[in-house]
Amino acid sequence: MKTTVRDFLRERGLGGGGTPAMLAGRASFAYVFGTVLVFLLVVEAVSGIALAAFYAPSSTDAWGSVAYVQDQVTLGWLVRGVHFHAASAMVIVAGLHLVQTALYGAYKKPRELVWWLGILLMMLILAWAVTGYVLRWDQAGYWANKVEVGIAAATPVVGGVIRKLALGGNDYGNLTLTRFYALHVLILPAVVGALTAGHVMLARKLGPTPLGDRERTPRPRWPDQTLRNAIAIAMVLTVLVVYVVAVRGVELAAPADPSQAYDARPLWYFRWLFELRDLSGRAEKVVALVMPAIVAGALVALPLADRAPTREPRARVAYLGALAGLLAVIGGLTVASFAGDARDKQLAKRNTQAEQRAQLARKLARLNGVPASGAADVFLTAPMARARAVFATRCKSCHDAESMDRKGPMLGAGHFNRSWIRAFLKNPSGEPFWGRTKLAKSDAAMKSFAQMPAAELDGIVELIYSESGATDVDADKRKRGLDVFETACSDCHAREDGMPGTSAPGLSGVGSRAYYLSFISNPKSAFHMGKDKSEMPRFDKEISLADRDALAEYLVWLRGATPPDLAALDQ
Amino acid sequence: MADEDRRRFLKVATCAIGGGVGLAVAGPVLTLLADPAGKTTVTTPTTPLDLGPAEQFRAGAEPHRVDVVAPIIKDGWTAARDVVLGAAWVRRTAPDKLVALSAVCPHLGCAIGWDAIAGNFLCPCHDSRFSVAGEKLNGPSERGMDELPLEVRDGRLLLTWVRYKTGQSRREPG
Ligand code: FES
Repeated sequence: MKTTVRDFLRERGLGGGGTPAMLAGRASFAYVFGTVLVFLLVVEAVSGIALAAFYAPSSTDAWGSVAYVQDQVTLGWLVRGVHFHAASAMVIVAGLHLVQTALYGAYKKPRELVWWLGILLMMLILAWAVTGYVLRWDQAGYWANKVEVGIAAATPVVGGVIRKLALGGNDYGNLTLTRFYALHVLILPAVVGALTAGHVMLARKLGPTPLGDRERTPRPRWPDQTLRNAIAIAMVLTVLVVYVVAVRGVELAAPADPSQAYDARPLWYFRWLFELRDLSGRAEKVVALVMPAIVAGALVALPLADRAPTREPRARVAYLGALAGLLAVIGGLTVASFAGDARDKQLAKRNTQAEQRAQLARKLARLNGVPASGAADVFLTAPMARARAVFATRCKSCHDAESMDRKGPMLGAGHFNRSWIRAFLKNPSGEPFWGRTKLAKSDAAMKSFAQMPAAELDGIVELIYSESGATDVDADKRKRGLDVFETACSDCHAREDGMPGTSAPGLSGVGSRAYYLSFISNPKSAFHMGKDKSEMPRFDKEISLADRDALAEYLVWLRGATPPDLAALDQ
Repeated sequence: MADEDRRRFLKVATCAIGGGVGLAVAGPVLTLLADPAGKTTVTTPTTPLDLGPAEQFRAGAEPHRVDVVAPIIKDGWTAARDVVLGAAWVRRTAPDKLVALSAVCPHLGCAIGWDAIAGNFLCPCHDSRFSVAGEKLNGPSERGMDELPLEVRDGRLLLTWVRYKTGQSRREPG
């Protein structure tokens, strides 16, 4: 039966038959690199197809779809990690392939075309990685791409056109992603696939080059060489998967945001250029463009320069030395670049912050989904996000405990809860309260109630607390507070609805959302502080009603919040 | 002969390694592609949706088509707002009774329309007809139109959206 199937296929031109492929000499592990590269290409293709089934190339959705694969699809992180790191593996193996080929003199006649195709493929693979890095549309990919396209745009004369064609328009957007996506999953796979087929066919036809000039007896490739290839493939795959698991796939930074600075770094295999560009100061644009051309040119020129028929390495020391020197420089620059970053403490700090932001974005995307308006808005799905954004820009400098030029009371976790009110009554002009205001230093400052008997103080605290609309009010205490209020407070304050006090703010609804809204809108109103007592400006013209209301809601939330609750909003 | 054995062993080893590598690559990739099978990737709100004031529907009037809009749903990674889920035909059958019929055709899911001349419902795809009460009249549909849960609260009409399986006589959410 088995033979019939085999015969059936053979008769139809499939499998076996023909003359077996031969090697000049013994099978060797030195010949495995090309096959491993083809295998890695297949890994990229297969994992890429799986990822493409989830990916959305649009500026609003790209990051969300990648975050979805990363955090919500079974094994998504693994496949994504393998897809990313297999590209690195390809660069490494391609480097080894190149070194082996050079060492064995396999670039020489009649194999020049194979060599040149190989150089071209290597450059295309690097370009392929560039087109992939931007697709995730996170801070890392976005900013790295800006730099890369910026370098290409510095090309004399045609730079502007190159930039427009690369971005698919005048600026980053949907068309940038559709363009890079088409390059990454259609055009480059087709081109690299076709060139690889040509490279492999030629290489097979000409056979591997043994080391040195000695003549060797030809031997069949199958199965001795094939087994070595299979072993090498299995080893590379194992190392790759173990590595991916160990580093937990590949990072995903926060969504791309043109307004958020980011320490853009290229992929590690471009680090040498990054460092070189850094070292060359004013000449950076020239260097970034010219250096890759020089390296590629040197490699292309190798078979033209070294035309002596001998393949003995000892006879080619000059050329091999030059190649080794080139690789050493690239390696040295790469190490210098990483070492420089490792020394930079400020950078480490910024990276930690960026990492926290990324984690927060991913957590929010997992919990709440990414808004249709775009991935950068995922931060707005956090509780109180809008209010906190407004607070950070409009309120923080005068009200945050950490602010250097604080002018008003601190606003933080536990604001206007019972212990806050108690502490305030005991020392209204204390540092956390009115201490920094002009009011505190004037005659109109509120007096301290530190001497009040504890039971009375409890009552008044409960009464004021109840105005906030809190639901856990102790009715008995509050009732006691009503009497105390009449004797101790009502000379200055009033608590009837909407009534201002004689010489101090009205307290009806103090600490409630409506109260805060009204206070933020116009603290200088007669009901609140009055015209002269408050330094706080009115915000009804400057902050939208929705934002003021969001702030009011936030202040109410703060009442029940602890410092860890507050910190948790950022994690 | 010894060389024959050796070669046989090498061949088996090569194929075994190749097979193992193939499985190792295919496994996670197929897992990924199969991931949506066990998931609700697009959510449907389970709480009733507000269709507006109940008084807009008059007794004796023709069925009225209303869009069913979800305030928020999750679609894969996106949290989408104001998403049109489908449509319902609402009619007041008695002064205090409202009925909503899903506009999704029970045959194969096309959108059912109201044929004002014939005074009954017609699905344009394969000409299934339903009476004003939603009973099956003729055409390929195996059951009548699907009624949707409805309630009136504070004068607002609240509808619960359910998508039923099509192409079968049994009414089954799916
Ligand atoms: S889908 Fe309505 S009749 Fe076929």
